[in-house]
Amino acid sequence: MKTHTIKYAFALCALLIFASCSDDDDQMMAATPTCTDGLMNGGETGVDCGASCSPCETAVNPPDFSGMYAQVDFIGRPGINTVLSADGSTKDMHNMAIPSEMAAAFQAVFEARLEQYHDVYAGLLGADPMAVNFEPNILGDILNGPDNDGFTNNPVSATVLTTVLAADVLEVAPNLPTTYFNGGSGAPNYEGAIGLTGRTPQDDVIDVSLILLFGGGDGARFSGQDTDMDGISDLPRLTSDGVAFTSTISTTFPYLGAPE
Amino acid sequence: MGLGAIAIVAVVLVAADHIDAPGSMGTSADIADFYAFEPTVGSDNTVFAVDLQSNVLPDLAYGTFEENVLTEINIDTDDDLVEDLVIQAIPRDGKMYFFGPVAPSTTGTTGAVMVSSPLGSVAISGATATVETTANGVSLFAGPRQDAFFFDFFQFNAVIGGMAPGGFKPAGDPNSTADDDTTGVDTFDGANTMSIVIEIPNSLLGETSAVNVLGLPVYKTWVTTNSKQ
Repeated sequence: MKTHTIKYAFALCALLIFASCSDDDDQMMAATPTCTDGLMNGGETGVDCGASCSPCETAVNPPDFSGMYAQVDFIGRPGINTVLSADGSTKDMHNMAIPSEMAAAFQAVFEARLEQYHDVYAGLLGADPMAVNFEPNILGDILNGPDNDGFTNNPVSATVLTTVLAADVLEVAPNLPTTYFNGGSGAPNYEGAIGLTGRTPQDDVIDVSLILLFGGGDGARFSGQDTDMDGISDLPRLTSDGVAFTSTISTTFPYLGAPE
Repeated sequence: MGLGAIAIVAVVLVAADHIDAPGSMGTSADIADFYAFEPTVGSDNTVFAVDLQSNVLPDLAYGTFEENVLTEINIDTDDDLVEDLVIQAIPRDGKMYFFGPVAPSTTGTTGAVMVSSPLGSVAISGATATVETTANGVSLFAGPRQDAFFFDFFQFNAVIGGMAPGGFKPAGDPNSTADDDTTGVDTFDGANTMSIVIEIPNSLLGETSAVNVLGLPVYKTWVTTNSKQ
């Protein structure tokens, strides 16, 4: 093979630039094959690879990615399907749905579920379920500005909230700091309130969700208050689950901690 | 309410999306969670982290990415809630292959791997993270990670089952795993998940005309898992 190659190279060389080839002839015939001479020589199994050179790349068939794939699970914002779909069949339907059709398909059942949660506590408090309902939340307070008390003309009704949540997408703002939701200084001014710019692993999405669902106009409607000052909570604690972020997180990619 | 309450508790309900529905619950395609964030203040990149599967409860599928499951990050950039770009991830023979970001051949609940838009691949990690960075500055990871989610899910079930008149428990020592019945317990402390993480320059995703309710420009994103037909 080596002889053949050199013969061919010589013939080609002679054909193209005869004069200069003759000068190089002896040198070329005597040259020791190297791994960078651009020739398959010296026992190489490819050009400048194999034998004493680095291994040749074997031709690998690319993986097969053919076929059609059909949706089996879905997530946008955390906890929406889990918390607001009332039963297994609704949850399955939600996982097979697409965001552009979700508001029409799920807003009404989400709103019913939201009221159902309030009925659970009406029962436990001995109150009329019809009298304990969702109250517009601090999002409306923030949108209305600091002069509003959180309860007057608050636009975030159960219908408005569940319409927003039913279109289940996670918004992430490019080139802005990420905060799922932060009420800033809190009621009534919410100084520095920001949110809806994404979700970091550290964001307490459960407490945010609970505040928006059960916190009412000041964010603390059902927060375990002791209304008669006897040292015992008279209202349920529904605005925080009482747990905080404890996982390992890294400041560098891939950010999530090594498995435990 | 005895029987009804027991029936409700027997249905395992775990947020954020962990084990959320009968159809996908505990399968290898079960999405556990999804994060999308700016990695550091001032960065021009966005990070997408998708958690599949969980070992938070016994007998759940956990530990292997299935080759017949395509994970797709959907990105709407014009506010119609239809994906304009997708980033896809699918494993083959110990590697996770990524495609996109690219307009999908079809939108909606069925689709194909966008083989003409390869992004890169990364060896699926063991306990130690192996990462790859592509020539256009995209970082890729796939493998087991801690489940960063935190939630007192047993108390949540009691709350929605009408068995917790006091609601959730107050905060205790966040590092305590002992359930002393008086403070909240993070059910996910110690749990792991199978994560797919991608950090991508915003320039590869382009401009967005979608806005959030505060009027800020946002990508509207969601994740699906898709099974080969």
